[in-house]
Amino acid sequence: MWDLEVAPKKLKEQFPDAILDVSSFQGEMTIVVKKEDILPICRFFYDDPDLAFDYLTDICGVDYPGREKRFEVVYHLYSMKRNKRLRIKASVGEAEAISTVESVWKAANWLEREVYDMLGVSFDGHSDLRRILTWEGYDGHPLRKDFPLRGEDFGHYEIPTELPDVVPTLPDEVEGERYMTLNMGPQHPATHGVLRLVLRLDGEVIADAVPYMGHLHRGVEKLAENMTYHQALVLTDRLDYTAGISNNLAYILAVEKLVGIEVPKRAQYIRVMLAEMQRLAAHLLWLATHALDMGAMTVLFYTFRERETVLDILEHVTGARLTPSFLRVGGLAADLPDGIEEKIKAFLDDFPRRIHEYETLLTKNIIWLKRTKDVGIISAEEVINWGLTGPVLRGSGVKWDVRKAFPYSSYDEFDFEIPIGEKGDVYDRYMVRLEEMRQSARIIRQALDRLPDGEVNCYDPKVAPPEKELVGKEINALIRHFKLMSEGISPPPGEVYASTENPKGELGWYLMSDGSNHPYRYHIRTPSFVNLAALPEMIKGHLVADVVAVIGSIDIVLGEIDR
Amino acid sequence: MELVYFLIEAAVKVVAVFSVLMLVVAYLTLAERKILGHIQVRYGPNRVGPFGLFQPIADGIKVFFKEEVIPAKADKPLFVIAPMISIVAALSLFAVIPFGDKIEIFGRTVTLTIADLDIGLLYIFGIASLGEYGIVLGGWSGYNKYGLIGALRAAAQMISYEVALGLSVMGVLMISGTLNLVEIVHKQAGGHWNVLYQPFAFIFYLVCALAEINRTPFDMPEADAELACGFNIEYSSMKFALFFMGEYAHLIAVCAIATTLFLGGWHGPFLPPSLSWIWFVVKTGILVYFCIWERGTFPRLRYDQIMKLGWKVLLPLALANIFFTGLIMVLV
Repeated sequence: MWDLEVAPKKLKEQFPDAILDVSSFQGEMTIVVKKEDILPICRFFYDDPDLAFDYLTDICGVDYPGREKRFEVVYHLYSMKRNKRLRIKASVGEAEAISTVESVWKAANWLEREVYDMLGVSFDGHSDLRRILTWEGYDGHPLRKDFPLRGEDFGHYEIPTELPDVVPTLPDEVEGERYMTLNMGPQHPATHGVLRLVLRLDGEVIADAVPYMGHLHRGVEKLAENMTYHQALVLTDRLDYTAGISNNLAYILAVEKLVGIEVPKRAQYIRVMLAEMQRLAAHLLWLATHALDMGAMTVLFYTFRERETVLDILEHVTGARLTPSFLRVGGLAADLPDGIEEKIKAFLDDFPRRIHEYETLLTKNIIWLKRTKDVGIISAEEVINWGLTGPVLRGSGVKWDVRKAFPYSSYDEFDFEIPIGEKGDVYDRYMVRLEEMRQSARIIRQALDRLPDGEVNCYDPKVAPPEKELVGKEINALIRHFKLMSEGISPPPGEVYASTENPKGELGWYLMSDGSNHPYRYHIRTPSFVNLAALPEMIKGHLVADVVAVIGSIDIVLGEIDR
Repeated sequence: MELVYFLIEAAVKVVAVFSVLMLVVAYLTLAERKILGHIQVRYGPNRVGPFGLFQPIADGIKVFFKEEVIPAKADKPLFVIAPMISIVAALSLFAVIPFGDKIEIFGRTVTLTIADLDIGLLYIFGIASLGEYGIVLGGWSGYNKYGLIGALRAAAQMISYEVALGLSVMGVLMISGTLNLVEIVHKQAGGHWNVLYQPFAFIFYLVCALAEINRTPFDMPEADAELACGFNIEYSSMKFALFFMGEYAHLIAVCAIATTLFLGGWHGPFLPPSLSWIWFVVKTGILVYFCIWERGTFPRLRYDQIMKLGWKVLLPLALANIFFTGLIMVLV
């Protein structure tokens, strides 16, 4: 069994005085290093054949206003070979800059831009250090702790007389050649939300593409840092609004990891079942819009018919179709209602026939093949270097899934396959998602058949209120109830990263607790954000019509890109 | 006196064809929505009147009262004239289409065609390509890049498919030996429909015709997903409606031409010559249904693929069809 302890040891040999601290919390190792050495250290971790941290999962920043070096940049690395995660931290002062790791992982490009935008940490040598979620010329950095939360705290606001160039576009003339700049979005039927793409066109061929986002930025991370842990749950539904329960699950898993509790088997199975139902709903919506973008509109109505059934079931269980917020720290809001098994079984019996129906319209349709085959190809190495996850990763032939790599919520007890593609084109991603729907249906059936009896909540005093009867009788139960209801839960100080396999890819939460009842840092690693970064690479040299196909095949949701 | 009768007859026919056609175009939108609704397991319009029968009228009123926006930087004369070109060209096509056999009214023999031109087919090809000018100018004059791309696509598509379309009906001409549409129909009497002798030409014609009228899977100039409605992006109110009506009139026209050239026109069993136009309507209706049906089934092709299909597949095949038709005619 390979041990992660090797990593700091090897690092110490290579860089004797770079390591400032090595710690472990809930099985996650954190190495604090000097910021001057961050690039060579990352390069070392990436290159070393024994460690092979080929995957940059996330970069985020944390603000400590009291410290001498105010900011901490947190890198989450992952080694596919060793199936281990590693967290590296480096402190940066307010006037200082840290070296970019873009040369190691391309994924760093957008992630570092986000840190720069949100905290004002500057990155040395970054190829394109611009704001990403707020607009160019925005005043301040929202995730700094001294940035006001409410509008009334901002003080008087003067509209600047001279607006900065908030809508920069690409120049039409490059090295003597003339191009046409086409502004696609933010209001466009096929960008799946308020994504703005500035395309530089040579005829209809795309010479360059620059995405702009943030039109839907709501400051979720800032809001959550001022909420209790349970209050922050409702923000998660609204990230990837096509898969509310999946988001709930990722966040709740992070909180449970932070508190250190295990939920009962029955709750785990129901969570799996609901998350897979939600995956079906999300994939059905994806198929509908993807096909519609290509002009096949009938598929939309067929998939919405099944999505309706899925949402009906979810509504029956959770009481909501779009934003369930049904999971709780330590379990679920409620057990399954009566009569839901028959409903789900009826749906599962019907579903394979329905998928076949979609396939008859698309899979071997010559026009569909012409539109999707060999379009938007991204190779396995590229896909890993860009940090892409989910069906995009698997479409390129990398057999990796969080459900298999880090089985959460008892996923290891279910029998399912990970479908992969070969080339990594739009068609492969389409086939992967179709097969995933079949596998999801399999998982739901297994969960339903083997659903254990028992409670759906763990009654750990740290997170769960006492029984209602006791509250009326015993003073200590009353106090506990009151404390939990009014203050919420207070996890021990520490930091965790937990992730799930969302319909769109790996959705991860980096939660940091300072022991109080609200998270000190609540960072979301959203799959759409990371996946979208590779879009310009994928569409260069293709035609305008392919942009729509590729965006559809990446399957983005602006709610979670912009947060 | 004869001249007066002729003028009255022509005027009556023009008015009749025009009004019936406008009505059919209006209800074709309803039919399309109803048929697509049926294909897509939904109802389609059913709120306005019984079975949604007044929906086209409601749509018409709505569109008529919409605010009309002309972009500030638009080329105004062209912007205004483009939708007119589009619909006038589509409607003019019906001037030479024979709807039925000769009928007797008030002791006068009346042909059910507005103008019995000897060069009917040439006229059709001339006018049909004019309709594309509406799209090209409409897309270009609106000062919108999406519109411009749509217009460029329309122009390229028109050139590519016009050629293949013309060559695909060449076989029919060789068999019939005339450009007069009425004559062509007469030659198909007794079940000798051209589609039986020219099956491939019929298929080529249908594909090219779909491309010619910019319908799925060839709806490149419009392409709502990528170009956000392309050439008509800046149009509103009645100008938009004119494009829309032009498109549907054109759709009926190409189906009517296909009926005339390949499906024996008004010929059919059971009906007396005075009611022969019913066969024409039925055949055209079936073709129109096909056009709606395939819209509910196919995704959209990509622009370069359409060009390839036109130049590299349909054009050589249409040429081969002419060659073999000629060969067989010489040998037999």
